[in-house]
Amino acid sequence: MNINFPPIVALLFFPGGAFLLFSGLVFEYIDRKLVARFQNRIGPRWFQPLADVVKLLAKEEIIPTGVMKGLFVALPVVALTAALTSALYVPLFGFKPVFSFQGDLIVTLYLLSMMTLCIGLAGANTEDRFSLIGATRALTQLFSYEAPFLLALLGPAIALRTWNISEINAGAGSGLWFIIAQPIGFVVALVGLMGKLELPPFDAPEAETEIVAGAFTEYSGRGFAIFKIGRDVELVIGLTLVASFYMGGFATPLDFLWKTLLLLLVTAALQSLFARLRIDQTVGMWWRVGVLMVLLQLVVIIVGQQLAPVIQPALQSLFGG
Amino acid sequence: MEPKTAPEKFIVPIGPQHPALKEPGHFEFTVEGEVVTNATARLGFVHRGMEKGAENRTWVQDLYLMERVCGICSHVHALAFSLGVEKLAGVQAPPRAQAIRELVSELERIHSHLLWLGVAAHEGGFDTLFMFSWRDRETVMDLLETISGNRVNYSANVLGGVKIDINEKQADAIRKGMDFLEERTQHYLKVVTEDETFLGRTRNIGVMTYEQADFLGAIGPTGRASGVKRDVRVDSPYTAYSDFPVNLVTHTHGDLEARFIVRIKELYESYRLVRELVDKMPAGELTVKVPRRIPEGEVISRVEAPRGELLYFLKSNGSDKPERVKVRTPSLCNWSSVLVTAVGHNLADMPMILAGIDPCFSCNDRVVTVNRKTDSTQMDWEDLRQYGIEYYK
Repeated sequence: MNINFPPIVALLFFPGGAFLLFSGLVFEYIDRKLVARFQNRIGPRWFQPLADVVKLLAKEEIIPTGVMKGLFVALPVVALTAALTSALYVPLFGFKPVFSFQGDLIVTLYLLSMMTLCIGLAGANTEDRFSLIGATRALTQLFSYEAPFLLALLGPAIALRTWNISEINAGAGSGLWFIIAQPIGFVVALVGLMGKLELPPFDAPEAETEIVAGAFTEYSGRGFAIFKIGRDVELVIGLTLVASFYMGGFATPLDFLWKTLLLLLVTAALQSLFARLRIDQTVGMWWRVGVLMVLLQLVVIIVGQQLAPVIQPALQSLFGG
Repeated sequence: MEPKTAPEKFIVPIGPQHPALKEPGHFEFTVEGEVVTNATARLGFVHRGMEKGAENRTWVQDLYLMERVCGICSHVHALAFSLGVEKLAGVQAPPRAQAIRELVSELERIHSHLLWLGVAAHEGGFDTLFMFSWRDRETVMDLLETISGNRVNYSANVLGGVKIDINEKQADAIRKGMDFLEERTQHYLKVVTEDETFLGRTRNIGVMTYEQADFLGAIGPTGRASGVKRDVRVDSPYTAYSDFPVNLVTHTHGDLEARFIVRIKELYESYRLVRELVDKMPAGELTVKVPRRIPEGEVISRVEAPRGELLYFLKSNGSDKPERVKVRTPSLCNWSSVLVTAVGHNLADMPMILAGIDPCFSCNDRVVTVNRKTDSTQMDWEDLRQYGIEYYK
């Protein structure tokens, strides 16, 4: 849908801003409910994520001794800001992105990584031992999934010869969906997103039975609530990116809804299927399997693009070039 | 990344309050990066003074006290106690009572092993298995409630017999429950032996060789997973175990996977035994009379709790109260094996290795007065009580 929102409206109210915050909570609810149902539990009521946030915001924020106070307070805000800013470049709810330029894909991915960096810093900032280990693990995990995730999202970009998210969004719907043309890239992108959001089985950075809450151990009240909202926002934006790249883009809000919710269903199923991976297993998996698979995919795309004009239009449609 | 607080030794404390622990205990893991180089344990946070308390109560009252030593294996504690008292008094419970005692023991083992399966899976971050096994555990909890009226402290024993009987309707419910559980357990065995991510967390983790297990005195399923052929039910059958024998389940690998397999296969044994007991329950009386005053003497009574050998030492001075009750619970014997096997593994494996022995804290915490050469102290009950009040003030 090509409605142009004034940037200030987009940033504060719709489709970014307040509306995005609430849809983040809704997505978190759906995720929790689905995982609960898969695990044969009843799961939370619809307002539970909102109630959690309201309760946390109302609580006292304890700033532990030994931390750099400014950093401790600023980090959650920076993380949320980065996540909200990245919303300006993605086709949220099927609407045209507010800002768009060649290369905004890279900017968006950077902004999405800010969250993990903030979590790492937040953990390293405190003297708590669980936080330190959580921070180490969060950053280790960042280095393992980030490259394959980026490469996986580059697949459609290279195939369509553009680094502009809205052009990819538009182009993805024209030919064969990339989920069929580039299945490996889709799997890596989806699993990479789970790693980014530290969802099980990639929840080693905050494995509660080992290190309590990882980097968040010392966070309470407002800071913790903001981190929580930031992660929900990232969930929405991450799903938007993967769905628009690999599932034929969005033209309408309805498109957006069913595609992202379908993806959420798949991630919820994956979350309940596996035991938690140790951090060394996570790193090993990404670099031994993930990266190689995506590189193979890229080679196929590039070779296909070179050969496409020569051989036949069928190949051309297959790789979208 | 080097931690800034302790450049040389980085110690991760687990407990006394920690999400991985369901009861308070304290562990310190020295880590280098993610690898654990040393492990220590400190127990004693839930000392309740039960052994001492038993000396102030009569033999009959003690039965109820001892049943509350453990919330998971309440029946075996009461069983070990009443078997000991009966031996001292020179009486023997009738065959039907013995069979019912064994039946409740095995039902309790089923519930305990299913509980453990869930807890261990949760420690490894596999919450789906946790939820499913606890859901199925409700079946056996309901069965225990049907036959005894209680889900946790079944209170099946009295001195000289049992106070519950099994009628045909209950027997049918038990048979049906066992069929359901057997089917589910087959699924769990498949999960723990075939699921790749789960095997990544259990195979070759926390390996304890036969020699180590023998040397450290590992007992119960933990020892049997390392090939230690030790089971009180087989070695010196009590209650009806000589008429309804149990097959020893052992494994040779000694890793976490082997502990899962041993416990799950023990579940099959329990299902078989429960069915056999229900089908061939001997007829007859439920109790014999036990004198109020127990003749003077000492006795050791051993039973196989879900976690391993449970040992009771009872001393009577001929009155209606025991002179001494000493309880040695299986968890205590297995702690050292955790500390040995932990070294060299990742920090992420610690919760599972800890859970691997199926630890139970509140049953093994004791107060010990160490007699050093200089400051030797003896405390009587009143001093000890005062000490406790002062300590927690």
